[in-house]
Amino acid sequence: MSRHRTMRAGTAGVAAASLFALTACGGGGDGASAWILTGGGWPAIEEDLERFEEAHDVEIDVEALENDAYKQQIRTAVGSGDAPTLIMSWTGGALLEYVEEDRVVPLDGETGDLESRVHESVWQNGVVDGSVYAVPLNDVQPVVLYYNQEVLDEHGLDLPETWSDVEDIIDTLDGVDDVDAFSLAGGSIWPAFMWLAYLTDRHGGEGAFQAVVEGEDGAWDNESIIWALETMQELGENGFIGNYNAVTADQNEDAQLLADGRAAFLLQGSWVYATINQDFPEFADSGNFGFTEFPVLEDGAGDPSNIVGNPANFWSISADASEEEQEVARTYLSEHLYNDETVDQMLDNGSLPPLNDIEDRFAGAEAEDFLTFANELAANANHFQLSWDQAISPSEEQAFGDALAEILQGSSTPQDFVDTMNAQ
Amino acid sequence: MTHAASTESKVPQAGTALDPTEPDGGVVGLKKPKPGKAKKPGESPNIFAGVFGWVWLAVIILPIYYIIITSFRTSQDLRANNQLIPTAEPTLDAFILVIQNDFFHFFFNSVIVTASTVAVVLAVSLMAAYYITRSTTWGGTRLFQLILLGIAIPVQATIIPVYYLIRQLGLYDTLWALILPQIAFAIPLSVLIIVNFVRDIPNELFESMRVDGAGEWKILGSLVVPMAKPALMTVGIYQALQVWNGFLFPLVLTQSRDVRVLPLSLWEYQGQFGINVPATLAAVVLSALPLLVAYILGRRYIVAGLTAGFGK
Amino acid sequence: MTATASTDTAVRDTGAGKRRQGPTFLMALPAVLFFGFFALIPLGGVLVISFMEWNILGTPSWVGLDNWDTVINDRPFTWRALTLTLLFVVGSYLFQAPIALMLGVFMAGQQRYRAFLSVLYFLPLLFSSVAVGLTFQSLFSPYYGMSAALPFDWLPNDWLTNSDIVMYVMIFVVGWCFIPFHALLYQAGVRQIPADMYEAATIDGAGRIRQFFSITLPQLRYTIITSSTLMLVGSLTYFDLIFVLTGGQPANAVRILPLDMYITGFSANNLGHASVIAVILVAIGLTMSLALNKLSGSSKMESDKAGA
Repeated sequence: MSRHRTMRAGTAGVAAASLFALTACGGGGDGASAWILTGGGWPAIEEDLERFEEAHDVEIDVEALENDAYKQQIRTAVGSGDAPTLIMSWTGGALLEYVEEDRVVPLDGETGDLESRVHESVWQNGVVDGSVYAVPLNDVQPVVLYYNQEVLDEHGLDLPETWSDVEDIIDTLDGVDDVDAFSLAGGSIWPAFMWLAYLTDRHGGEGAFQAVVEGEDGAWDNESIIWALETMQELGENGFIGNYNAVTADQNEDAQLLADGRAAFLLQGSWVYATINQDFPEFADSGNFGFTEFPVLEDGAGDPSNIVGNPANFWSISADASEEEQEVARTYLSEHLYNDETVDQMLDNGSLPPLNDIEDRFAGAEAEDFLTFANELAANANHFQLSWDQAISPSEEQAFGDALAEILQGSSTPQDFVDTMNAQ
Repeated sequence: MTHAASTESKVPQAGTALDPTEPDGGVVGLKKPKPGKAKKPGESPNIFAGVFGWVWLAVIILPIYYIIITSFRTSQDLRANNQLIPTAEPTLDAFILVIQNDFFHFFFNSVIVTASTVAVVLAVSLMAAYYITRSTTWGGTRLFQLILLGIAIPVQATIIPVYYLIRQLGLYDTLWALILPQIAFAIPLSVLIIVNFVRDIPNELFESMRVDGAGEWKILGSLVVPMAKPALMTVGIYQALQVWNGFLFPLVLTQSRDVRVLPLSLWEYQGQFGINVPATLAAVVLSALPLLVAYILGRRYIVAGLTAGFGK
Repeated sequence: MTATASTDTAVRDTGAGKRRQGPTFLMALPAVLFFGFFALIPLGGVLVISFMEWNILGTPSWVGLDNWDTVINDRPFTWRALTLTLLFVVGSYLFQAPIALMLGVFMAGQQRYRAFLSVLYFLPLLFSSVAVGLTFQSLFSPYYGMSAALPFDWLPNDWLTNSDIVMYVMIFVVGWCFIPFHALLYQAGVRQIPADMYEAATIDGAGRIRQFFSITLPQLRYTIITSSTLMLVGSLTYFDLIFVLTGGQPANAVRILPLDMYITGFSANNLGHASVIAVILVAIGLTMSLALNKLSGSSKMESDKAGA
């Protein structure tokens, strides 16, 4: 008996000792930290941070989280005063709250020549009340329509230029087993935000959603938004891939369905270009992987050049980080961000940094076609709409997702949706 | 239980199965009903039961079979072939990827959290149970009522104030954040189980020890602990499983890799590996391996220990 | 330590005869401190936070009854979550209890094949809920999972997203996880039933089914109560598997109270509303446990203690 007890006490002692060791290094304090996402162009960002560590002999602890996990955890971490030194955001409502709660520090005059290098329209997203609180860290991310040429050829389809072309394509593919027009990760919901944003914009122009952002009473109850929701429900019946609600984007299942030829098109962010090259190299190299713009809606009030997406992801510096950690982070932002090597690497991945005169840089790059396409899209856009989920306040985001999920599942009507959202 | 099968004529008692080397507590008058067979041998075979048994086996095995065969694939292989037929080209790539991604670090964190939590729970619950059953003051009964109330508290529901408390204590994102609250929430059920055993120790034994001049700590060590051993094993195994598998506390109370425990790491792997389903499932397999080894080595103790304390 | 304790109790010996020596409160103190600080204080805390507005980032501030008013009167989903929780708890019980009981009886049998199967029945207990969640998530994947692999066209392939069936899928998966443990409880219970009871019944000509209902079931009374309490309270507060299986995606069809609380608190960042949900959860949990306790006759403790 006593032998057992001693053993147990011994185990507890060892455990307690290692515990002290672990809590000591878990608490942070030595070296800055940064959280990034997984997939897309993020591995390049991680490598960039590593090169900075080596060049400046400092430590930045990098943590890569999946999109949903990131959103769940960043907030509890920031709230606990335990945020990474470099806080990534999509700007919008989340950045506003960080600024209101004094969780991030102003960066005016501390970003080197970055401001003069970055597109003014992108830079402005990180400015709150006249002060810079966040700076872009990666690429412009317009949402584009990817396609599988093999599927188009097989069924004699052309790229859709107008919405009636889309309807024809849907009709053609209606009779075909195992192939649908559009892959959609309805299970992740956020890819459906892109559809809602594009359809609303094409139908009613950017003003429809702008009213929502500006907090006008009852702004959701707008004929363009309702039309977009109705159209999505019709696409749910026929157009979107069967069981789109079971497909998730975090596992890149939506891209997989396109690559496997189960869908002709996929509406997704520009980062999916890198994903497809990484995860589905056979498809990417087959010559069947293509990309185009969202079609025009005949009689729609929206400017056909308007695009939807994210201007970029942004870095902010945590106000809870120590002075030394903040200094490391500031040095990274002012001296290292968008250095030549990293910009070249981004361009190789098909990621377009929001820098002035970038077109001179990507001539001859492997992804030149895509970069030219994305650059023209961004440069010619009359309006670049920030993703709706980022533009609204974080407290509304959940309700927005839930309400759109019910639309996709067919368990509520567009009117229910606008009523729910107006009540938020 | 092969133990039962190998000794066809001798039916094991819950107590003996627990520790075959030690005579059961019958010496001290633990009330054990006379053991018996549930079914007479030689009875006509129960066809319904047989069918039911094999069907349930299929239900249990299919998912396990699926994770094992999938973990030896590549993701291309998974997409290209029938998912329920083992691959023709098995590979360890998925396992290597998981191990390269700090699997053992997360594993070690889980060991620390589980071992510390269970050790403390056993110690403090045993002491509390001893006090509750043998205290001569009103305190014992009151405390027991409080403990019974504690069992009814849904742990998950207190996560928000626990998060606040941990944050105020400056323990957010440390292993302490996982250990301290989990000890607290394991106490009620543990005390209840141990109380049920300690209560049945005859008073005369305590009296005779006291007459011999033994102090309370001595009595606790050399009378209560041996007598309550089945209960302690149950508490130990049951709570270890609870803590080892716990997900909500790590999810809310930690974030960095340094202090990530296995269940949370599985969830994070899924995001990290994306379409590489075999890698995620290889992590699942690896996470179950230590328990499988424990189960193979100590099946009799684990199975009997898990239930002995609930029997009362 | 030992010395202090023993003198303490020695002093207490008043010789009144009835009065016995006993351990000091010191023994219970660590448990009381842990439980008080990390369980009772949070329990009170959840009530306090339910009257506050808190978005995680800032510090909580008082808003009186606003949260309660909103959650109960202006949030139709609260009622839906309650209904779903009820469905989940009852459904889980109806699925788990009979199977666990039958398995327990089955496993208690002496046949060799039963012993062999019992070894395998334990296997789900080796997997954490997250592991089980990930397994079934990929098994249920519409294009690359079980439904794609099996040649049965009638198999649905939207197991986790079809709001008509997802609740039953959850009940099944949660049952898959927990039935083995309860079956073990029943197995242990059945093995304690004296054999002569069955012998006598056989002599009286009672068949297998009669014996099950007239001997096995009544004899398992305490096991049934223990197991039922664990099942009911467990499924009321069940979070892990449902969270992992739905992947944090909109899952309104299975958003039972604990998940609703988590999403409201940590995804929608409204910890005030989430605390109201938590208080409701605590209230239901306490009521249910106390009711079960009444049913099972908690006076057992009193009488046993008196007899000790």
